[in-house]
Amino acid sequence: MRLEGDHAFDGPRPAVWDMLLDPDVMARALPGTERLERVAEDEYRGVMRVGVGPVTAGRYDVTVRIVDKAPPARYTMEIDGRGALGFARGTAQVTLEEEGPERTRMRYAADLQIGGKVAGVGQRLIESVSRSLTAQGLAALNGELEARLARRGKGAKPGPAEPA
Amino acid sequence: MERAPLLQRTPIVPIVNGTPRESEVEPRLLLSDFLRHDLGLTGTHVGCEHGVCGACTVLMDGRAVRSCLLFAVQADGCEVVTVEGLTEAGADGGGDGRLHPLQAAFREAHALQCGFCTPGFLMTLIPFLEENPDPDEGEIRAAISGNLCRCTGYQNIVAAVRRAAETLRG
Amino acid sequence: MAEVLGRAFRRNEDFELLTGRALFVDDVQLPGMLHAAFVRSDFAHARLSGVDLEAVRRHPGVVGAWSAEDLGDYWQPGPLLVPPPPIERLTFHARTQVPLARGKVRHAGEPVAVIVAESRYVAEDAAALALVDAEPLPAVVDLERALEPGVALVHEDLASNVAAHVIQERGDYAAARAAADLRIARRFRYDRGAAAAIENRGIVADWNPRARELTVWDTTQAPIPIRNGLARMLDLSESQVRVVAPFIGGGFGPKIMMFYPEEVLIPWIAIRLERPVKWIEDRRENFFATTQEREQIHDAELAIAADGRILGVRDEFLHDCGAYDPYGLTVPINSQCTLLGPYEVPAYRSEFRAVFTNKPIVTPVRGAGRQHGVFVIERLLDLAARELGIDRLEIRRRNYLAPGAFPHDNNIIFQDFAPLVYDSGNYAPALEKAAEIIGYEAFVREEQPRLRAEGHRRGIGIVSYVEGTGIGPYEGARVSVEPSGRVSVATGVGTQGQGHFTSFAQIVAEVLGVDPAEVAVSTGDTREFHWGTGTFASRSTVVAGSACHGAASAVRQKALELAAGILGVTSDDLVLEGGRVSVRNDAGRSVALGELASRANPLRGAVRPGAEPGLEASSYFGPDRGSTASGVHACVVEVDPETAEVRVVRYLVVHDCGRVINPMIVEGQIHGGVAMGIGNAFYEQLVFDADGQLLNASLMDYLLPTATDVPAVETAHMETPSPLNPLGVKGVGEAGAIPVGAAFAQAIEDALPEYGLEILEIPLSPNRLFELLERKRKEALP
Repeated sequence: MRLEGDHAFDGPRPAVWDMLLDPDVMARALPGTERLERVAEDEYRGVMRVGVGPVTAGRYDVTVRIVDKAPPARYTMEIDGRGALGFARGTAQVTLEEEGPERTRMRYAADLQIGGKVAGVGQRLIESVSRSLTAQGLAALNGELEARLARRGKGAKPGPAEPA
Repeated sequence: MERAPLLQRTPIVPIVNGTPRESEVEPRLLLSDFLRHDLGLTGTHVGCEHGVCGACTVLMDGRAVRSCLLFAVQADGCEVVTVEGLTEAGADGGGDGRLHPLQAAFREAHALQCGFCTPGFLMTLIPFLEENPDPDEGEIRAAISGNLCRCTGYQNIVAAVRRAAETLRG
Repeated sequence: MAEVLGRAFRRNEDFELLTGRALFVDDVQLPGMLHAAFVRSDFAHARLSGVDLEAVRRHPGVVGAWSAEDLGDYWQPGPLLVPPPPIERLTFHARTQVPLARGKVRHAGEPVAVIVAESRYVAEDAAALALVDAEPLPAVVDLERALEPGVALVHEDLASNVAAHVIQERGDYAAARAAADLRIARRFRYDRGAAAAIENRGIVADWNPRARELTVWDTTQAPIPIRNGLARMLDLSESQVRVVAPFIGGGFGPKIMMFYPEEVLIPWIAIRLERPVKWIEDRRENFFATTQEREQIHDAELAIAADGRILGVRDEFLHDCGAYDPYGLTVPINSQCTLLGPYEVPAYRSEFRAVFTNKPIVTPVRGAGRQHGVFVIERLLDLAARELGIDRLEIRRRNYLAPGAFPHDNNIIFQDFAPLVYDSGNYAPALEKAAEIIGYEAFVREEQPRLRAEGHRRGIGIVSYVEGTGIGPYEGARVSVEPSGRVSVATGVGTQGQGHFTSFAQIVAEVLGVDPAEVAVSTGDTREFHWGTGTFASRSTVVAGSACHGAASAVRQKALELAAGILGVTSDDLVLEGGRVSVRNDAGRSVALGELASRANPLRGAVRPGAEPGLEASSYFGPDRGSTASGVHACVVEVDPETAEVRVVRYLVVHDCGRVINPMIVEGQIHGGVAMGIGNAFYEQLVFDADGQLLNASLMDYLLPTATDVPAVETAHMETPSPLNPLGVKGVGEAGAIPVGAAFAQAIEDALPEYGLEILEIPLSPNRLFELLERKRKEALP
């Protein structure tokens, strides 16, 4: 399955970068994530619980590796999730483009192999579920970025200027 | 261990083929498994476990339902009729002895081959013929379009229904 | 007595089936029975390092769990069920399925562990706890890409993914091609479908440690080979193993003696645990774990003369074996042989490669490769007729083998290893009959143009086919008359709805002069009869039916001889009817069959040397080769070019299966076959993604035809008796399913002549037809 899209964040590129690579944020932005721990430099492991249509929510053990990191412009995530109900694995390329001092466009393109019950029985719903999970994730990231920038605005402010 | 077996059991009393059956079941036990394995009523067959093939159809309070999509606990207090209940319910003493007229018509019209899907068809058709005693071919085909048969190509089933309808109208 | 054969007797088996009393495998309930669930690979192709079952074994209610490593010496690849036929220059690599994957998994759904627990619910809970250590490999999915250099190998000990390479030839195709006025070359595709019997597979095994006897209830079409194989694998004597195929909820091919992993493991576990064990396949498993059929790609060329005579055919095709090839080459050989059809084809060159892919195993499914051959030759003839301006019926008439051409030797080898020789046939009258019943001339001249003027797009399709049926090696039967007068028949074939309890009873009843309803038939229980092979290749009535006839005839002979002695006449003076042997024209002097049975098994006196006690006989029948059934399918379809919706308005089958034992049963077989054929042609397709994942593994997404999709099928019979068996019968089980795709394609093209469609693929889903129509619409734009 290929999942592509873009999203504009109201914040400076380095702040978006820092946020995206924070494992706590990742855990919150990936819907269904129960935990995500850093086990090595740029490697995270955790547990997700996701349901697709007639396939009930199942537990997936997930490993995420960040490779080809070029801060603050782009990175690639290697994702490997496996559970009793199936698996999802593949890569996601993320690029961040500066559209202005306070505006960053994220483009993402994921190539995922989906297998097991989820693929065989839930096929019709995989795309719509993926879209809704992506939308949930992006909403969570928007909120997180807003909160971060607000916090930063209150303290000493080494970063870029606050939004007008 | 993440998921221990559910030992919790719920008492239920469905009335199956006219007899109250006091039982204790796990809440997740499917009605189809309860009928087949707990009560030994193996005439109800399971072909897909996801409500498409219709082989597991039984009557619950007079309506045709898919017993693979219901839990046994949902049948608590309900009247359930399986294919085993059909013979006694419709005893007619005709050429085929104790067969219900619908069953007899299936035999006459060669409306079954392997017979695995047959109980589901019968149980789907019982309430249909009660509501619609004189159906045309299109209505019959629509009525059985939720039951899959891989052997007959359906046309002899349609013929059997017309024959049964005629008999039942008297 | 002629009224017994050929009459539509109601079926003896129906009462049990209609009342819910018939025993299917999942109905077997034994005290202390355990339930099995399998852990299956999610990956289509992966390196398998191991399966960690520790958490599984700790789960409450689990009694045992095994991966390949735990099977010890019992882990063996399954048997090669059908070796390749003796064809020159043939290459074949046997790679048979294994009980549990070891080192590597080769298709999604391949089992990697088995778990046995107190209930199926608990077994499945525990299965979720298994940790499968697998590293995915690139999957081999596409048939052509599978043969490209550098591609992943399904079996790494082989040099390529080629499982077999076979060339069969007659005549000189190059010369035929050079002499042809017209050559039609096209690429044809047939994709995968599922047999989808409504009953999934299942097995129950019960080991009695005191009697040291194993009883296995198995949804198999071939209980005797399963018994013999299990005895060998389990190191038991054949008499210690009883395999019962009770009522089976549809077979259609995949329930043949596959020695599926489940079939091999459940009895072994039952013996180890000394407890009965049951495994019932669920529908999702059925989409992976039960064999499938039909993916082939043909590049075919027809060399034809201007007058429409076939000069030759060349065909090169790829056949998808799936991950293993335990059933040998039966399917592609059938495709290769069936392509010749009812036609005189002077030159034929057919070459195929069977290809391993990371998909479920391919073995025969109703039709077993014959569909492809019929589709290719019939489509080529349609295209040639169009090019040459010859009527579709006429081009067929010009190529039919003449009624005097039989036996006709096609000079190639069939799936039964015998030369492909048609025993008998008479093809043109079937075509004329079909044309008459469906009203071909009137349709083409009047109805079609009138409907077109009214805005309806209707088309007609008429195609021919032949079908090799009733192959050997042999079957047997035992017929007994008890002192009570009861007649029983036991035979080894399994039965999956074909009406054997009735047609075999009719065969025996006719010979013994009794009522078919009074003849008790036992099939599929090795304790009752243990010689034979099984139900496949439209062979049961031909081969087992002939054995029933032989055994009944021997019993009759015995009865007549005994009665002759008792009544003081010669056996020529006796008649056998109504359960009694009586003196011709003197009904008062008679003796009941039951009385003769008592006399044949005396408590005193002597049974003469050379005689056998009892009114009982066994007989075996093995035809030298298969008998060739044939027929014509015709249909009228209405197509909506905007939505690509196709409605089958009429469907007619004119069928010649030799002598008909029970016309009601024969028609039923045809109705069901056509329904399956319509499913295959228009609704059913197993869709795999590039990673070998099956994307529609449920009946929600894999569409079986329903009552609103299938028309009433009209039937007409022709009877050209087979000279190869005493009954003159030919098989009928697969006939309905075989030519549907070809008839359907022709009818759709005929409905939409303005589009100039060429339908070269099956299944042709509504989506796919829509795409083809859109493409034509775009091409038509300036």
